[in-house]
Amino acid sequence: MTELLFSTKTLPGPNDITREEFSNGSVLLTRPNMSSPAVAIKGYLPPGSAAEKPEKYGLANFMSSMLTAGTWRHAFRELHDEIESMGASLSIGAGGLATSFSANCLREDLPRLLALIREVFSEPSFPIRQVRRIKTQLLTFLAIQAQDTAAMADQAFDRAIYGSHPYAIPELGFPHTLQRISREDLEDFQQRYLGPKGMVVAICGGVLPAEALAAFSQTLGVWVNAYQQPQPELPPVQALHGIIREHVTLEEKSQTDLVLGTFAPKTTGPDYLPAQLGNEILGQFGMMGRIGESVREKAGLAYYAQSELGSGIGPTTWQVIAGVNPRNLDKAVALIREELARFTSEPVSEEELADVRSALIGQLPLSMESNAGVAGALLNLERYQHGLNYYRELPARISSVTREDILRTAQTYWQLENLVIASAGVALS
Amino acid sequence: MNEQLITYTLENGLTLLIREIHTAPIVSCWVWYGIGSRNEVPGKTGLSHWVEHMQFKGTAQHSASWMDHTIARLGGHWNAFTSPDWTTYFETLPSSALETALALEADRMRGSLFDPAEVETERTVILSEREGLENNPLFLLNEAVQLRAFREHPYRNEVIGAKADLLALTREDLYGHYQNTYQPSNALLCLAGDVDPEQALALTRQYFGDIPSQPVEKHIPAPEEELPSPERVELRGPGDTTFVEIVWRAPKANSDDFFAFTILESLLTGPSSLNMFGGGGISNRTSRLYLALVEKELSVSVNGNLNASIDPGTFIINLTKHPHNSISKLLAALDKEIDKIQTKPVPQAQIDRAVKQAKALFAYSSDNITNHGFWMGYASSFADYSWFTRYVERLAAVTPEQVCSTARKYLRPDARVIGVYTPNGEESGGD
Repeated sequence: MTELLFSTKTLPGPNDITREEFSNGSVLLTRPNMSSPAVAIKGYLPPGSAAEKPEKYGLANFMSSMLTAGTWRHAFRELHDEIESMGASLSIGAGGLATSFSANCLREDLPRLLALIREVFSEPSFPIRQVRRIKTQLLTFLAIQAQDTAAMADQAFDRAIYGSHPYAIPELGFPHTLQRISREDLEDFQQRYLGPKGMVVAICGGVLPAEALAAFSQTLGVWVNAYQQPQPELPPVQALHGIIREHVTLEEKSQTDLVLGTFAPKTTGPDYLPAQLGNEILGQFGMMGRIGESVREKAGLAYYAQSELGSGIGPTTWQVIAGVNPRNLDKAVALIREELARFTSEPVSEEELADVRSALIGQLPLSMESNAGVAGALLNLERYQHGLNYYRELPARISSVTREDILRTAQTYWQLENLVIASAGVALS
Repeated sequence: MNEQLITYTLENGLTLLIREIHTAPIVSCWVWYGIGSRNEVPGKTGLSHWVEHMQFKGTAQHSASWMDHTIARLGGHWNAFTSPDWTTYFETLPSSALETALALEADRMRGSLFDPAEVETERTVILSEREGLENNPLFLLNEAVQLRAFREHPYRNEVIGAKADLLALTREDLYGHYQNTYQPSNALLCLAGDVDPEQALALTRQYFGDIPSQPVEKHIPAPEEELPSPERVELRGPGDTTFVEIVWRAPKANSDDFFAFTILESLLTGPSSLNMFGGGGISNRTSRLYLALVEKELSVSVNGNLNASIDPGTFIINLTKHPHNSISKLLAALDKEIDKIQTKPVPQAQIDRAVKQAKALFAYSSDNITNHGFWMGYASSFADYSWFTRYVERLAAVTPEQVCSTARKYLRPDARVIGVYTPNGEESGGD
């Protein structure tokens, strides 16, 4: 096994994680770090944008933005005055399958902040004036995003690869669908889907497990939504056939952004770890791996050029992304394809494998140096049903991945005749 | 946690700061050079930032990929930043690998190659970086506004440099800049985390002790206490959104005015996060300008930015105009709020609240060792580490009258630059 520069006992494990299931269907994970009074809270709960109807795309995200716009007990200003006066923060957003939230506070304010989080989830009042104001904010954000080459290339990629699957739709929706969403739609969506069944919360930092449990069990742990319905099941994705080329023209842009990719292995499946190591070699390790070496370091074509492996419960993608001068776009695509051809035709070297094993293992303590990092790691334990000993066992599992495993995974998922290539920038010449 | 800071200065002038934090088996190693775009002269903008890029391209002793792979193999992360006032390099990695970080930083303090072919490759990379920034209207607006916020002081220039200069700079310009300014006497080494100070000092002596120091020649600009003149800059470009940026002169970081201004900023646009590497911020939804501009649907967002700098810098407010309102109404409402804070006493309770928020932000930053390393060096670039450790205490000492007088002194309508980015095809300023 790769030599360890740290003890795996410093990573979260069964002896220092407290996990509690509550009768309302929620789960709490907590791990103390008493070196400072700062506490990080992270969580997720249904619903996500996959529960939306086509004419109301953007509803989940709009609803999540409205949760902190006022409750039946506190108007917008009173609510934020309470949160900000504590020096606390609370942000809520929607993804494809879940609504996620993230909060920070000092130890003494944890019970109050958890009570406010419960209140915004269970008693939002959707004030009509705030609905109008936040709708304008979201529409303005969409207008700004429509000029962002990276965001537009990413959306074009999603449209092409996901086709009729809900993940083809941007989580913020479209201007015309946002315009259609009313206060009643928001309230109905919140009552129908937002609830504690399936909610997972991690609390990490300067709070003892007993304190965290007590605060949770009096707030989110007793929240009930009798109307909560399960989200619709996600349909399967369709396999890619052939090369799909998409370009979004945006005038007066100096840089073109490029996304090239395919489907990723299932995050909970056996191919994921070999893909993770392979992805490090392809476009992450050091200065963006082989892709960075070829496109940035040798050819000087891009400030960034790297690969990214998605993770999640639903289908995800494996991408190469780059930002290039428009006249270098074809050259960059050609270099990336060359690297992908090499990645799928020959095993990675022993040295490369040793490097990325060591890197992924070494990153474990660093990724959890902050309370928020640990909270995120605990959520993933529950999201992917890894078990509490996962991080301590991970170094051994990483060490067991072979060159053959990586090549087989690369060949399975990267079929170079079946790709999506999306870009956004000035018109193609 | 040991709050004490240990300081040593080697014979060659290199200063070493150590902060022991044993909460995780991690160390963050930072080398700060007293050189940035503030020290650049016209025609040579972007020099410091480009030199920073070249520091990742290899030395006589180690290739670029050796450096890069060595850190990555340890699971560490490393990066560098160039600011107007400084250039800094850091590695955060397992504490047992401290020696690797020190060896690497000592090696590239004097031994970087600046291979001519690498210089040319990096020219296109930096131009590409600039092109990525130019895609964002807010970068273009900020660049135009900052140019008018200073007569000659280099704070008027973007750190990345002007495109014409990036096309003209030579390998000799870059290497000369490096040779001149990357000296132990112009550097500060900061170590935060799970370190044994005695061992750290011994390793520092071993790797840096023999590096000779030459006198450093650098352009020191004259501070500009006042904005040249009130101006309005109009920009046009693609899109559907009108952006506004307003800039005033701000006090230098190492002054009493700076702390009063920090409270002023907190009240107007919300508290600034101290955390460069996560840890959490606080929203600004109860700040005066959010309530007056965003809640009243004159603006879609409001953000303030006060930078801690060596010389007097800028306080920036960014607004995204509400699509159904006008610039003139937006600016009138902004002026009304500024007038209010200049003329009506600020309740002590509001200052106490700003201080509580600063305390919380301080606590959030302290669970991240990389943040500690950053703050040790950053505070030392314009004052010393006590600036950071006494930050909350000095905020708590600010009086209501100081907040008003600071607002009157700096936030004057005759001493600001207003920049407006208007979408093509719309009437100027959306009025």
